[in-house]
Amino acid sequence: MSKNVVILFGTESGNAEFAAEDMAAVITDRKVQVFDMSDFSSENFESTNLYILICSTHGEGDLPSGAVPLYESMKSLKPDLSDIEYAIFGLGDSSYENYSRGSEHFDALLTSLGASRIGEYGRHDAQTGTLPNECAVTWTQEIIAQS
Amino acid sequence: MRLARANILSRFWGNLGVITLSSPSIAIVGSGPSGCYLAQYLRKAFPDSRISIFERDPVPYGLLRFGVAPDHIGTKAIAQQFERLFKRDGVEFIGNMEIGKDKSLRELRNEFDIVVIATGLNEDRSLGISGEYLEGIYSAGRITRLLNSHPNENSEGILVGSNIAIIGQGNVAIDLLRLSLLDSEELRSFGVTRKISDLMGKQDSKTISVIGRSPIEKAKFDITMIKEISKFSNVKFTSDIDYTKIIDEDSKQRSEAINFLVTHSPTNAKRIVNFYFGWSTLSFFGSNRVAGVDLVSKQKKMRISVDTVYTAIGFQEAKSASIKKSEHTSGKFDLDRGFLDDGLYCVGWFRRGPVGTIPVSRADAKHVSDAICSDYYSKMQGKVEIR
Repeated sequence: MSKNVVILFGTESGNAEFAAEDMAAVITDRKVQVFDMSDFSSENFESTNLYILICSTHGEGDLPSGAVPLYESMKSLKPDLSDIEYAIFGLGDSSYENYSRGSEHFDALLTSLGASRIGEYGRHDAQTGTLPNECAVTWTQEIIAQS
Repeated sequence: MRLARANILSRFWGNLGVITLSSPSIAIVGSGPSGCYLAQYLRKAFPDSRISIFERDPVPYGLLRFGVAPDHIGTKAIAQQFERLFKRDGVEFIGNMEIGKDKSLRELRNEFDIVVIATGLNEDRSLGISGEYLEGIYSAGRITRLLNSHPNENSEGILVGSNIAIIGQGNVAIDLLRLSLLDSEELRSFGVTRKISDLMGKQDSKTISVIGRSPIEKAKFDITMIKEISKFSNVKFTSDIDYTKIIDEDSKQRSEAINFLVTHSPTNAKRIVNFYFGWSTLSFFGSNRVAGVDLVSKQKKMRISVDTVYTAIGFQEAKSASIKKSEHTSGKFDLDRGFLDDGLYCVGWFRRGPVGTIPVSRADAKHVSDAICSDYYSKMQGKVEIR
């Protein structure tokens, strides 16, 4: 049976949330929930779900402020995520150093806690002058088809 | 979206059963980032409400359109989030309508259950020193409006020379520095008109002095803004930072960002950028057009010859503002929540002053939206119909 989907977004300017809503809208064959990372706790991960993370980059390759509490609590509580599958999509701007680094902090942490990433690492570059929505939706459809 | 509303409802009523609610009609005055983010949150909270945004300009988005530098296309793209408010989410945009002038605030409050002031602060703060009105001295707001093709701004009398002083070291000042280093063709590629790009884009030889009152440890710029400047390879950078005095970690990072520019720039270049930290601007001098600026730092004085000045020392409420904060901050107002009076709120720079970037405006809008919802639901509590 295919897993339910939980989309977690980490955002500063709202772009990741805006894209997350469109991503959820194209997943029609199973249950999908969308959470702001600031409303999600590290004890909430369940192996019956596929987690799709979409996260922007703030300042100098840092996490957006709304993503920091979840990141910090996962880092200190070190939950065992060895039965968790996730996919990840990063937002950034290639005209800055540390392009798309925000999401990479999560990717590294999830991997170190035993979770396994599925599919391609999704990316969107704000230097294109577009919002990530279109590109994130296409990527989501590929991830869902593979899972 | 439905989830957000359900959360709010359950917070206020617990399990009261099935309820029906009237939806308040909402007017937002100003369509800048704060007004538009607020409309996003309020639309989620009240899916069926009439929500209208009034704007004195013919087009929406305020400082996002006319203040954000044209080459920051990643930031500009946020406008595409807001477009959806008008295209899909049933938020009405009413342009060319200045509340307090074309229509009174009182009238608007009679028409709508809730009115929110999101007019920002859009006049450049002035230095209040002698020589400030000489020709050749331009405010940052005017220059960024011109660069962003504001319909009511004109370039009359503007002449950009090759010896420029930028007063201020916040992000707007660094925007002006970066834009002053782009040639006319590059400026045009970001949508700047031919006229303005020709005025600002001459790059044969140029000296730009970036002058800040604060020492490096208190300079207002974001470090990423300085790192972005390092893309200009054929510019010589200098600074007067005294590195022996840099102690704490944050000022170390700030001074290192400047030092990186200095040490990675060529010894000779036709374009020179000098950073001056800790210098207050005393006065400008010149007979008709500005010829120089006098600065002071502790006991030292310094004179720099310039032919053009951009002032970028922040924003304030315009004397001619059609809605003034002082008229609404008496009585039972509570600015922490954005509350001014029953059914009247404020958000963004109007509420908290001219500081903070676009993400800060988003958080501000969330905060005020929560206050509006909470007040509305407590007011409605006695009137809820339970089936």
